[in-house]
Amino acid sequence: MISLIEPIQSKKSLGDDGILFVRNDSIFDTMVKTTFLIASMIIVAAMLPIQSSFSSPRDLDLIIYQDGSTHVSTEIDVDPFLTDYELNLFGSAIDNLVVVGDNEFLLDVDVIDNSALIQTFGLSVLTIEYDIHDLVSKQGKLWTFSLDSPSDFTLLLPKNSAIVGMTNFPIDMEIINDQNQLTLSSGKTEIDYFFSTTNPISDTKTETDYFLYVIVGGIIVIILIGIIIFVRNRQKNLNPIEQIQINQKNNILDIETIFKLKPDLREDDKELVKFIFNNQGEALESELRKKFLQPRTTMWRAVKRLEREGVIEIEKKDLQNLVKLRKNMEGEE
Amino acid sequence: MKKLALFVIIVLIFGTISPSLTNHAYAQNDPNILLRIATQADKQIVNQLNGVYGDQIPNNIKILYDKGYLAVKSLDQSLSKDDIEKAKQDFLLAMNSFMQISRIMAQSSEKVVVVTVSDKSNRNLTSEIDRLEKYVKTLEIISKKYNTDVESDFIKIHDLIQELRIQINNGYVTYDDLINEIKIILDSIKNDILESAIKQKSDFIKRFFDRLLDRVDKQLTKAQDDNVDQIQIDKATALILEIKELLSKNQINSAKVVYSELKELMKNIGYSIRIT
Repeated sequence: MISLIEPIQSKKSLGDDGILFVRNDSIFDTMVKTTFLIASMIIVAAMLPIQSSFSSPRDLDLIIYQDGSTHVSTEIDVDPFLTDYELNLFGSAIDNLVVVGDNEFLLDVDVIDNSALIQTFGLSVLTIEYDIHDLVSKQGKLWTFSLDSPSDFTLLLPKNSAIVGMTNFPIDMEIINDQNQLTLSSGKTEIDYFFSTTNPISDTKTETDYFLYVIVGGIIVIILIGIIIFVRNRQKNLNPIEQIQINQKNNILDIETIFKLKPDLREDDKELVKFIFNNQGEALESELRKKFLQPRTTMWRAVKRLEREGVIEIEKKDLQNLVKLRKNMEGEE
Repeated sequence: MKKLALFVIIVLIFGTISPSLTNHAYAQNDPNILLRIATQADKQIVNQLNGVYGDQIPNNIKILYDKGYLAVKSLDQSLSKDDIEKAKQDFLLAMNSFMQISRIMAQSSEKVVVVTVSDKSNRNLTSEIDRLEKYVKTLEIISKKYNTDVESDFIKIHDLIQELRIQINNGYVTYDDLINEIKIILDSIKNDILESAIKQKSDFIKRFFDRLLDRVDKQLTKAQDDNVDQIQIDKATALILEIKELLSKNQINSAKVVYSELKELMKNIGYSIRIT
């Protein structure tokens, strides 16, 4: 049966020894073909003039004052091979016009209606500032800002203004000195606003989020503290039981339990039991002799005594006596 | 070498395209601002409606308000579902409804007034002084780059502005004289700056023309090689000499006029001066 799926590592790419050998050149040729190369060049070539196009504002910032007058601040790229540049103003009612070139000279400007003729003489960037009175209209208590902007721009609204209508999406918004600053995209924009006492637009969502984070964080901290306290208390309460359980797992009773069960043990025997207990419940008789510096016979008697009491049991290990604490002493009782 | 060339091209493409991609990403920045604006507008409209109509809101406005209110609710839901396109539609619908309401309410009160300088009724002196102060600061920054002795003038202007603000706070009405005084000083400062820049500006303009005429000269040499009519070439050469002479006499505006003539001539013989 012929497989319909061709494996990526075809047999052709395997060497004589069956080793997978991949040539980087062939992958590169496959991935980047000549057409792609030409397309890349065309894209780059097409984008260069777009990037170096003139007369488009780099920055455009507007500030609306309380009386609806607007301060315009803009930076424009101009053709450095021209002697003049004609700037289209956003209206004819302007004042306080200042134009500065990239050489930091204050430039001569002739304003005729909506346009300003600026002597540039090889300048490539102009910084223009002026105040305009044509962008905001007022009807009753309602103020309306309208602009057909050639580029994205920022708009700082007056203090205590509250937006009640918009025809464009704001790209961004921030609060500067209790004033709303919107970043808006190019094109026609109309914004209606009233003056109120409830502005600037509070960052309610962010505040809510922040509050939410605090609540969630607090709950997590409380839960963690609760768990820690619970575990600690549990450890405290269950320690003896657990200890007994652990000892039982190792077939060893707790030392206190042993002594409770065998209250008549001799003091020297108790010392032996303690040592065996601390030695993981078992010890060679020879170890006990060395530890307690007892003669062989004395130690033998002591071990036999403990065996009779049912505290220990004796096993043979490598021809030696291995003394082990007994388990289930209660059962023995 | 081939790999290197391909790598450079790929880098160029991504380098060229990436700034525009960043801008698009920026445009999608924090869609929650839509909800914040719409919610605030909603509250403002409710306040206005309560203030103007109380409990007797006209039916057409009520319908519009319900439309806007529901759009704000839908906007909230769209945002919680991360449906940005729907959120945008909701935002526009809400803001459009609120805009219609506010315009209906405004229409009933007064006619449209475009705010102008001459319109004394809408004159807000605080705004006027704010704007004036901004203008003063701009000129102050520019003047520091020139050898002008206008520091004392600026101190005087700042004192006058201070005085104006005090007068406005106290409700006096003699501010027009003060504003006119400030404007006169500002005009004088501006003229001082322009005059002090004449020499530097003239040098700058001459350097600009030198560069430009040098390019024209090279183009004329090429035109000669291309067998362009010698009369036209001689005419262009004469215009270049005329511009240089006018510049040496500091007659910038005349030089500009002749330069325009030269530019036109070069265009006619098929050579644009705009060499980029």
